[in-house]
Amino acid sequence: MIKAENVVKLFHGYGTTVRAVDGVSTEVERGEVVVVIGPSGSGKSTFLRCINGLEVFSEGHIIIDGVDLADKKTNINKVRMEVGMVFQQFNLFPHKTVLENLTLAQRRVRKRSKKVAEEKARALLEKVGIPEKAEEYPSRLSGGQQQRVAIARALAMEPKVMLFDEPTSALDPEMVGEVLDVMKQLAGEGMTMIVVTHEMGFAREVADRVLFMDEGKIVEVGTPEHFFTEPREERTKLFLKQVL
Amino acid sequence: MNATEKIWPWKILLAVILIFMAAGTWGAVKQIDYQWRWYRVPQYFFYLAEDAQKIPFDGIVTKVEKAGKTTTVTLTSESSEIVTVEVETEELRVSEGEELFEDDTVGFSSEWRLGPLMKGLWTTLWLSAIASVFALILGLVAGLAKVSKNYTLRGLAMIYVECIRGTPLLVQIFIAYFFLGTVFDLSRNVCGIGALALFAGAYVAEIVRAGIQAIPPGQTEAARSLGMTMPQTMMDIILPQAFKKILPPLSGQFISLIKDSSLVSVIAITDLTKSGREIITSTFATFEVWLVVAAMYLLVTSLLSQVVFYMERRLAVSD
Repeated sequence: MIKAENVVKLFHGYGTTVRAVDGVSTEVERGEVVVVIGPSGSGKSTFLRCINGLEVFSEGHIIIDGVDLADKKTNINKVRMEVGMVFQQFNLFPHKTVLENLTLAQRRVRKRSKKVAEEKARALLEKVGIPEKAEEYPSRLSGGQQQRVAIARALAMEPKVMLFDEPTSALDPEMVGEVLDVMKQLAGEGMTMIVVTHEMGFAREVADRVLFMDEGKIVEVGTPEHFFTEPREERTKLFLKQVL
Repeated sequence: MNATEKIWPWKILLAVILIFMAAGTWGAVKQIDYQWRWYRVPQYFFYLAEDAQKIPFDGIVTKVEKAGKTTTVTLTSESSEIVTVEVETEELRVSEGEELFEDDTVGFSSEWRLGPLMKGLWTTLWLSAIASVFALILGLVAGLAKVSKNYTLRGLAMIYVECIRGTPLLVQIFIAYFFLGTVFDLSRNVCGIGALALFAGAYVAEIVRAGIQAIPPGQTEAARSLGMTMPQTMMDIILPQAFKKILPPLSGQFISLIKDSSLVSVIAITDLTKSGREIITSTFATFEVWLVVAAMYLLVTSLLSQVVFYMERRLAVSD
């Protein structure tokens, strides 16, 4: 489904070059839930953003459903239709109602009629548990509700893969649960997901595979059981000791 | 601020200061013995024009019908051509059966007309309105070019903005009229509007750029991650939000444009300022006319501020 081959992302600063992602290779199967963990600045978010072209990587290949992002002829907008993304800061469109947030891209990109798009949107709002907020503006919603709307917005495009970039990091602790529940439900339905998170509980419970990244490299890969009970690498052990 | 602090002493102080300033000005004017002639000003807003109604041929007055204040006079020529003229009953100069020669006066009719101040105001308004529309288009294009990824577009926009903002508007108007106007054979109105639009456009471009850059990058990322193209993202996501943010500085710029339009009077466009100057040459009521002209500008700009204030509140629903 998704195949990353030796992906490198360089950031050029004043006379220095940072290798934010440094030769990452991995594969994600259809229906698999992969959780990426690691300390801040380890390049996990940058790697995730490379997968839907928000960052243009410097070297390597990312192949989604047989389409290579490194190929200049690839229409990135076509790829993005199939790759949904949920952000740490929700990034809802504040000047549009919840319903409009969900219907806009459906109508502009998928060219759906207003009626079809709204039906889809209302069904998804039902699914994430806030059908009554359809006509509200995002600023009237709590953080957890906003993030659930953001998930519904991405799902409205019927993507094949969902990327989550620290979806619960900006939330009040009491709202984390409601967002994780929606994500668990999605995983249960067989959605292919790549999740960057600090929620170790979620990783342990939902992940099929855990990637541990540090300094732009994948340090260790494994099932949650392996990962949380008997990590191999010293760096992993150190990290887990800090966060658990 | 202290919660119990009273505001009325400060109101009184404000009133006292204003009264002192007014009294000071009044006293100073007294010193130079200026003859105020306010009664001469109203006629420059509206005036009653008297037009002599004349017979267009040699002929006879065949009928005079008086109906209250107006009288309808029917005139018949030697070749049986019939013309009717309306005049004021009090100003009727002919009677039935009278023989007249071509261009004899039948009577007078009067009509309220707009005086030079109103005509000048109208010129200022439409001139500014057209210039504003062009400035907005120009500013939007240049502002988008400034945030574009393309080096050439960015360069062009930057040169435009720097050249316009680095030179005085008065000089630009002279260049537009005496240089460009001569070379390309443009009318003074085109030159005036063009100079104003180019000038305001440069400032609008900077406002638009700042507005776009004030929208968090996450908005673009979210829209793009849904598969929307860059133009779609701009139209649906960035510009509507940016517009709300830039409305106050943008309206300030357009209010500025109305005031700046007074400079086009130097290329003999009869706007409000030029009308004022013309009235002064015939009345010598310098003080009155300039005060009235200033008040008229103030009225227009404050009305506009009110409209913008109303729009801002309307747009604030999603906050």
